[in-house]
Amino acid sequence: MANLLDVQSVRAGYGSINVLWDMTLGIPEGKLTCILGPNGGGKTTLLRTIMGLIPASAGNVSFEGRDCTNEKTWNMVSQGVVMIPEGRMIFRDMTVEDNLLVGAFPKKCRARYKQNLDMAYQMFPRLKERRDQLASSLSGGEAQMLAMGRGLMEEPKVILVDEPSLGLAPVIVDEVMGILDNLRNQGRTIVLVEQNTNKALAIADHVHLVRGGKVVLSQDADQVDLAHLHDLYFARDHQNAS
Amino acid sequence: MFELFAQSAFSGVLAGAYYALIALGLALVFGTMRVINLAHGELVLLAAYVAYSAENKLHLDPLASLPLAVAVVGLTSIAVYGLLSRIKKDRELNSLILTFGLGVIMTNAILMIWSADIHSTSVPWHHDAIILADLLFAMNSEVFFGVAGLVVVAGLWWWLEKTWYGRALRAVASNRDAAKLMGINPQFTEILSFAVAGLLASVAGIAIYSAKVIQPSLGHHLTVKAFIITVLAGMGSVPGVLLGGMLLGIVENLTVTLASSALQELAGMVLFLVVLLVMPSGLFGRVRRRG
Repeated sequence: MANLLDVQSVRAGYGSINVLWDMTLGIPEGKLTCILGPNGGGKTTLLRTIMGLIPASAGNVSFEGRDCTNEKTWNMVSQGVVMIPEGRMIFRDMTVEDNLLVGAFPKKCRARYKQNLDMAYQMFPRLKERRDQLASSLSGGEAQMLAMGRGLMEEPKVILVDEPSLGLAPVIVDEVMGILDNLRNQGRTIVLVEQNTNKALAIADHVHLVRGGKVVLSQDADQVDLAHLHDLYFARDHQNAS
Repeated sequence: MFELFAQSAFSGVLAGAYYALIALGLALVFGTMRVINLAHGELVLLAAYVAYSAENKLHLDPLASLPLAVAVVGLTSIAVYGLLSRIKKDRELNSLILTFGLGVIMTNAILMIWSADIHSTSVPWHHDAIILADLLFAMNSEVFFGVAGLVVVAGLWWWLEKTWYGRALRAVASNRDAAKLMGINPQFTEILSFAVAGLLASVAGIAIYSAKVIQPSLGHHLTVKAFIITVLAGMGSVPGVLLGGMLLGIVENLTVTLASSALQELAGMVLFLVVLLVMPSGLFGRVRRRG
């Protein structure tokens, strides 16, 4: 099966500090691929490298078979690769509705912005109630909803979601996961970066465990042995791994 | 006494409209690029001198020289951006040095080209008086540019609030990385902000040439005024900048009327310090949280 998005031996980092070491993974179309791993393992760095927010020093990234390594972020977006950053990256001094409308900035999305706005409000009714409020007045959960709604306004072919459960109450986490589950069931391609193993495994099709800038495990979600995954997650595999 | 107050306040409000135009240009550029353009006042002054040359060489009314001024000042403004964008390291500090230097160069270029003489328009209708309600006196040009300033500020506000590119500009000012993730090219919005700042500076420059007098050293006074207003208003509020401009205009005019015109520049600085002391985030600024 052809992958929608392919990452081949990518190296990237911040200045002289390298974070990703020969990262290789594929994102199949129409599936929910989950990238798990401990803090500092390179999950968010991977998403930022795919989006061109930080440069890859080696390797390549391709989307729909075309090479797009180190492509400008805004060109990735106009091709349909959309990242939903954590909820803190909303436009705090703009209203909720203006946040969503900025999502429709790419030229191809502008024609249908009204339908997409209605869709976002339907999916997140709380945002409609608060459409004229400043985004800085939203709660953590609402800010996450806003980041997701804003991302969907960009009409994504593949959605990269960065730690949507970060700092949220469990009941909100369930809601967020439910929404991602629905989006996948509608045929969208999703890459979910998470630390919350249990919640993520419940909705994922494929799982990659990333640690120390490398993929240490790639499996279908229903074949994952949770005890083994947790051993790898917490680096308790030193006896039998290099 | 009441007449004096009313007259000063009226003149201050009229001046405040074009003060706001200058300050909004400064604020726009700061918003997208996090750079304080210390040559901004010189751009305004350049527009005024373009109007002066157009009147003397081409016999144009200052109003008719607007397209020419927009072209010259807009291109100069974008050239300033071109130089600023080449700064790769420590942009905050180095941009101050660069734009301060550009301001000095422009002041001296203006001195070389147009001499140190004081100029104002000699087209008569600009200087004819209007008397409102038997009380308030103003020149035609003061009223005209007061109203025009308000219209341009309203237009800018509409553009920032309601259009795709206006929203994109605010998004870049709010969170640059998040704006990139929305498909926005931040460099484009930076050029756009310099172009719009040039447009606003052109209108303000022609207003000053028509309603006041110009001389080569005026530029940096204008930059200081714009800076005071921006800080007074708090970043990122168009109506706030308009009110800040009018407040500065009123305070300056009252100082000139009640005390001495020598204290005009001082009054603005005192106002600035008092507001900073009492309300550090500005009169209309929101307290910003980082993160």
